[in-house]
Amino acid sequence: MFNALWHSLPLWAQDGAIALALLAPALLQAPLILRGYRLGPLLRGLLRRHAGLSLVFILLIATSVAIGAAITAQERALRQGSARAADKFDLIVAAPGSEITAMLAAVYLQPSALPLIDGETFAEIAATEQVALAAPIAFGDSWQGAPIVGSTAEFVTHLAETLAEGRLFESTEEAVVGAGVPLEIGARFTPAHGHGVADAAEAHDVAYEVVGRMPRTGSPWDKALIVPVEAVWGVHGLADGHGPDWDGTLGPPFDPSRFPGTPAVLIRASSLWANYALQRAFTTERTMAFFPGNVLSRLHAIMGDLRQILSVVALLTQVLVTAAVLAGLMMLTRLLARRLALLRALGAPRRFIFALTWSFAGSLILAGTALGLLLGLIAARILSGMITARTDVLVTAHLGWPELHLVAGFVSLTLSLALIPAALTIRRPVIADLRL
Amino acid sequence: MPRTPPPLRLRDLAVTSPGGRALLTLPKLAIAPGTATVIRGPSGAGKSTLLMALAGLIRPARGEIRWGETDLAALPEPAIARFRRETLGFVFQDHMLFEELSAAENASLAALYAPKAARAGLAARSEALLTRLGLGARGARRVDSFSGGERQRIAVARALATDPPILLADEPTASLDRANADRLVADLMSLARDGGKTVIAVSHDPALIAAADRVLHIEDGALRPESARV
Repeated sequence: MFNALWHSLPLWAQDGAIALALLAPALLQAPLILRGYRLGPLLRGLLRRHAGLSLVFILLIATSVAIGAAITAQERALRQGSARAADKFDLIVAAPGSEITAMLAAVYLQPSALPLIDGETFAEIAATEQVALAAPIAFGDSWQGAPIVGSTAEFVTHLAETLAEGRLFESTEEAVVGAGVPLEIGARFTPAHGHGVADAAEAHDVAYEVVGRMPRTGSPWDKALIVPVEAVWGVHGLADGHGPDWDGTLGPPFDPSRFPGTPAVLIRASSLWANYALQRAFTTERTMAFFPGNVLSRLHAIMGDLRQILSVVALLTQVLVTAAVLAGLMMLTRLLARRLALLRALGAPRRFIFALTWSFAGSLILAGTALGLLLGLIAARILSGMITARTDVLVTAHLGWPELHLVAGFVSLTLSLALIPAALTIRRPVIADLRL
Repeated sequence: MPRTPPPLRLRDLAVTSPGGRALLTLPKLAIAPGTATVIRGPSGAGKSTLLMALAGLIRPARGEIRWGETDLAALPEPAIARFRRETLGFVFQDHMLFEELSAAENASLAALYAPKAARAGLAARSEALLTRLGLGARGARRVDSFSGGERQRIAVARALATDPPILLADEPTASLDRANADRLVADLMSLARDGGKTVIAVSHDPALIAAADRVLHIEDGALRPESARV
């Protein structure tokens, strides 16, 4: 009954309920402890009086919360960013080998040497009934460290949908570049063999003219320069993929006997369900077919273990900081002892002293937590920027329910622990403390 | 309407240190309501111990501390705290104010833990007391900007803000110069007499002794015969 009700709730409601449950100890404690008293002036006064020490506690708590929030937010942003970057790559076919290597090369344009798919195999793939698009993805050259990829105009259209400016390539001397490539329309560039910034000796003896620019995709393709696959074959002295009477029209159909090979083929099926049939059909002795999304899921599962380890590390950090805060609060209550004893001597109820001590600790905890969330978000954003700059995979971190759950649990735990120094305070000897 | 103070009766009172050493032994003592009593004696004689016992801050090893029908020695801690808050005002030797609060906030400190319905009255009364003590115009200023004498007057306002029928004071003029001490004694006694309060103060101040109805001399933890004017 409860399970059915729970699963019928929308996700935000489930997350909200979890957050509320985690916060429940704090939410129940606070009104019980604080009711009936006006603690504000005295609390503000004590915080001002012990501003330096309070700040140290707040920073300590903030650091702990920031570490926890940044780790979880960053890990999620990385997963979402990598998945978004693979969005356009429904099904990849490559020669048998490592799916992860093939995915890293074809989707994330990471340099690697892949075996090639031959012309007959490519022709079979392209001729399969449910294949709407079969685009070769040939890489190996670069310009100033940015990958040059050989493919077809249909692939560019599939990837970019509509170009941000210019047009598709129409000859083997033309290129369409990603949004992040620092070349204007009309600019020319010379490819170099391999990756990295090549010296003149490694440069090919051709030049491409930029004729179009893709919109930003948030993937490594923003740094890519896409040229006709025939051009890539040509600069390496290979056949052009077409018969002897080729009229120069780019793209398929290719002549299997003059097809030099391609490391990977992007497949778009004519319908969603057909993808699975195609994957089965292309998983043979000569080829492997995989969904980048599935490979990513497996990778994320491995990362999930790492995530759990990181979460445990973050939790341990918080437990240690909580213990440190608790010890610190004990010391702080000794600092407050004379003032609290004075209040007791004047007749203040013990519950008032308890509430004052608890709310003093609570103020530090809440301020530290709020600051920690902010610092965690800033840290995650900085890390995201660094990852984006390094990988060209757009990683955008933001705070979500997991961070709120972490914080809610932390606040409840520490506020509950703050009951201990508050309880010890009211057991202190009044006369001895007055003479401190 | 000022509340009538209860009479004080001590019987067979013994206060000991945590180690069991006798600090104070008083077989019998009575103080009439509405009178001013000064307790004097050498340092370490047990004067402050007596005052703290009268406030319920020290629990005696045996005996009775009866304020009217209430025996403080027999009450549990929360009830003693309630008694202090409702019946006693306390002035300490070194004023013991909250430096980070204003004069008005210090004077109306009890409003922070008083029932909501009593807060406005308490604040008004503490403001009136500050005005009467010559500090009304500066109530919003933090107490660290006041002189020693002024701070002690703020402490008097705090002690009387709840209009307690009993006022206890521990060496209230000890840290003041003569002029400030005289002014404080005059203010304290005037406010206490006007309200018909019982005043019990530990002091060696001649002005306070002169203003008292009765002087008790304590030495070696016991009451000695001394001049008494009742």
